[in-house]
Amino acid sequence: MRKTILGELEELVLLIVASSTEEVYGVPVMEELQQQTGRDFTISAVHTTLYRLEEKGFLSSSVGGATAERGGRRKRLFALTAAGGKALLEIQEMRNRLWQSIPQNKLQLLIPNQSIEK
Amino acid sequence: MKKQQESSSQHKQQPPRWADKLLEWFVAPHLLEYVQGDLHEDFYNQVSKVGLNKARRAYIWAVVHCLTPFFIKRKKTEYSYSYNKQSHKSPLFTHMLSSYFTIAFRNLWRHKAFTAINIVGLALGLAVCLLIVLFVSHESSYDSYHIGSDRMYRMTMNFRMDGKDMNFAYVSEPAGPALLREYPGVEAITLLRDDSDMLVKNGNSIFKEENIAFVDSNFFSFFALPMLKGNVTNVLTEPRTLVITKTTARKYFGDADAIGKTLEMGNLGLFRVTGVCEDVPSNTHFHYDMFGSVKSVNRGTKWLASGAHTYVRLRSGYSVQQLVAQSEKLVSKYASAEIKEFFGTSFSEFQQKGNRMGFSFQPITDIHLHSNLEDELEANSDVKYIYIFSAIAVFILLLACINFMNLSTAGSAGRSKEVGIRKVLGSVQSQLVSQFLIESVLLTFLALILALGFVVLLLPSFNDLTGKYFTLSAIFNWQLLLAAMGACLIIGLLAGSYPAFVLSSFKPIAVLKGKLQANLRSGWLRNSLVTGQFVVSIGIIIATIVAKQQLHFIQNKKVGFDKEQVLVLHDTQVLGDKLNAFKTELSGLSSVVKVSLAGFLPAGTSRESVDGIQFRDGARTGTHRNKSYFIDEDYLPTLGIRLAQGRNFVKSSSESSSVLINESAAKVYGFKNPIGQQISTIGDGSEGSKRTYTVVGVVKDFHFENMHQSIAPLVMFYGGDNTQLALRIQANDLPVLLNSIEKLWKAETDNPFAYSFLNERFNTIYQSEQRIGELFSVFAGLAIIIACLGLFGLAAFTTHQRTKEVGVRKVLGASVGSIVTLLLTNYLKLILLAIVIASPIAGYTMNQWLKDFAYKVDLSWWVFALAGVVAIFVAILTVSYQAIKAALVNPVKSLRSE
Repeated sequence: MRKTILGELEELVLLIVASSTEEVYGVPVMEELQQQTGRDFTISAVHTTLYRLEEKGFLSSSVGGATAERGGRRKRLFALTAAGGKALLEIQEMRNRLWQSIPQNKLQLLIPNQSIEK
Repeated sequence: MKKQQESSSQHKQQPPRWADKLLEWFVAPHLLEYVQGDLHEDFYNQVSKVGLNKARRAYIWAVVHCLTPFFIKRKKTEYSYSYNKQSHKSPLFTHMLSSYFTIAFRNLWRHKAFTAINIVGLALGLAVCLLIVLFVSHESSYDSYHIGSDRMYRMTMNFRMDGKDMNFAYVSEPAGPALLREYPGVEAITLLRDDSDMLVKNGNSIFKEENIAFVDSNFFSFFALPMLKGNVTNVLTEPRTLVITKTTARKYFGDADAIGKTLEMGNLGLFRVTGVCEDVPSNTHFHYDMFGSVKSVNRGTKWLASGAHTYVRLRSGYSVQQLVAQSEKLVSKYASAEIKEFFGTSFSEFQQKGNRMGFSFQPITDIHLHSNLEDELEANSDVKYIYIFSAIAVFILLLACINFMNLSTAGSAGRSKEVGIRKVLGSVQSQLVSQFLIESVLLTFLALILALGFVVLLLPSFNDLTGKYFTLSAIFNWQLLLAAMGACLIIGLLAGSYPAFVLSSFKPIAVLKGKLQANLRSGWLRNSLVTGQFVVSIGIIIATIVAKQQLHFIQNKKVGFDKEQVLVLHDTQVLGDKLNAFKTELSGLSSVVKVSLAGFLPAGTSRESVDGIQFRDGARTGTHRNKSYFIDEDYLPTLGIRLAQGRNFVKSSSESSSVLINESAAKVYGFKNPIGQQISTIGDGSEGSKRTYTVVGVVKDFHFENMHQSIAPLVMFYGGDNTQLALRIQANDLPVLLNSIEKLWKAETDNPFAYSFLNERFNTIYQSEQRIGELFSVFAGLAIIIACLGLFGLAAFTTHQRTKEVGVRKVLGASVGSIVTLLLTNYLKLILLAIVIASPIAGYTMNQWLKDFAYKVDLSWWVFALAGVVAIFVAILTVSYQAIKAALVNPVKSLRSE
């Protein structure tokens, strides 16, 4: 089976979709991304990523309600699929394994500067 | 408060419309709705956070970011999300773009020779066109850079005396100031006096300066000539002050500051440099290197005996018609008294005789192209040449385009099968049209690139030919390139339109059966295009032959003097008293036959003098204004001018009241027996300046003006002008002679030694005619090349299409000769038709051109015949190669083809 690789932005977007309580679309994802990372993202980047994740099968999409400020245009709402959840878990496990493989003395050096949990 | 404002200006709070349009255009329909919705939502969020302007900017930024392949790429499986109705019909133009280009390149590559002929032909045409556009735009930009140039005029003067009109580029010196004083519409005037050459001395170095003017103190504020050093308003307020150009300053003073330095100007004394100005731009009707203050020279006060080039700037709102009316009042107010003084008649009598004196005003921007008066500051160009050039540019481009269309059409004829297959496989007409159009536009752009290469290569010789200095930057400016690209696009679309629309409208069944090929092969369109091409080429050939003929004629016509073997020494006035001794020394040289003072010469730099002449023949009197010469007794033998009657001057002081006239003067004055007749000069009008002379001889008419004018009356006084020496020589070894003359010169003075030959000076008079002749031959050559390229390509194509026919004919017993004739006759018919059309057009045009010459060749029939023969010969040469090749092929091979 071909292993799907997730880019950094893809991973972040996937996490944000996962963390939201309901189905989300472009704007909230972008805002959340900016808030969490402090970096600027354009709508186009977010959309590209969302569609790519959908293509990979990690997200599913449906057409949602239109609002006045969108000029009556509908939203494309995204939700995490099972495959998406699995991919996230795999990444987390992989990270954890890596973290655990760090020798204790080196870990000591890291702790004062950065929190490991995050 | 703020809320209210927002709601009232709701429509203004939208994101930029163009950005939205852009987005809608390039984002794939299945993605558009959601992206645009999100962008809008974000935009309104931003408006409330950072304000409208920033939000709009951010919106544009975000839209630009959507310009990625991801968003542009249309969805392969149509219809599922499609929102845009267009996509239901047929694939968009842009979908097919890459396919169009691929096919186009493959096609062009497959027919390499054909493509090359096509591109080279068009590129040649485009290159010529680009160069001519460059030339024409420079020529028509003269003097338009002055501030308020639309309100600037040059005042000119016209006389009508005894039925002869004289128009001068200058006016009486008091006229300009009088106009400024009396007419409120005049904002400013400025005067310019163009004096003769001067030897300018700076310490030990002496230069001959030919471009010296004396100008008003407001000259530099009147014209837009930027002053680099010195104050524009007061540089020339004092006498003996001088403004020099940047280049001249470097020539005399190197890198040192020129301000405050002095230069000795001929015999006018020391001048102080008070300003350095930028070199006069090339598109100005004068080019001076030194500007002295007009106060340094004697100012004329007489209306009839003074002259200065006078420029007028009107206040806005005043018309030039009012100015003309005003200037007429000046003549009666100021000049009438002088007319009485000069001609002895009252102003009203003067007018009754049909005489006239008046002023007119020419827009300053018209001077270069539309003015040809006496005493122009520089030889002006003629708008006629602009027309000729533009016409040639249009014709050459037309030729190249016809060629291009022709070849494209012929080339596409072989592709009717391709069209058939494409249609069967589901191509719609619009796709086929796009395919053909893109191919031809692609070709034109390739040609444009090649044309730019040609221009770069041709620029130096083009500069030689036109006498201009264009640099590469003049060509590679965006305006010209944009125009060229626009033109290419149009040419490409036009040329591609015939194959595109005709071929794509074929019924596939008919095409695949091969029915329509015959139709295309004998297309009337192609025939008429070939004919048109040859009409243009033959026309240009005729023009070339006639222009060359005329040039040869005027250069070899008997001019009435012997222009060969005459050496002219310049600036001999610097020798002063020693001149006579120098003259004797020269005549002592073995290879010098005769030496004469020759300030007045019939060719090249010469003194000019115009005198009012009164004659009395019995009871009859008359007044004329003539050119006059001052010559010594050696002048006529030196120049080889012959006497018709009477005698030459002799060396004697009593000769000062003798005069020689030419044959036309005798005729105009009405002298039946001219010897012994009395004529008197008017001088400046006062009784004291009138002098009476006795005619002692009549010289045979010689051309003292160029061939545009018929020989006018000329009066020759005894005196001689010491500014030049003419030497009749008989030298086998010219360098040795020149060397010994230079040694003699150097022994007398440290002034530069300068000389010229009379026949060379004579030839330079006809430089512009010569230039036209050369240009015509170059363009004729180009026209023929382009036409032949086209013919060659076309012949290759049609012969190829007739391969089978030729094969069948050969099998049935046709000879090679008969087949070649068969293939040739079609083209010969077209060329004969072209000769018939071109001859009257070219004949008429060249007749118009020849009308400018007082002495001209007649158009004879052989010119047309020769042009026709040349065209036929070249055409046969081009086509017969293909024809013979086709005829020689073994019929077995040709019948097996396909």
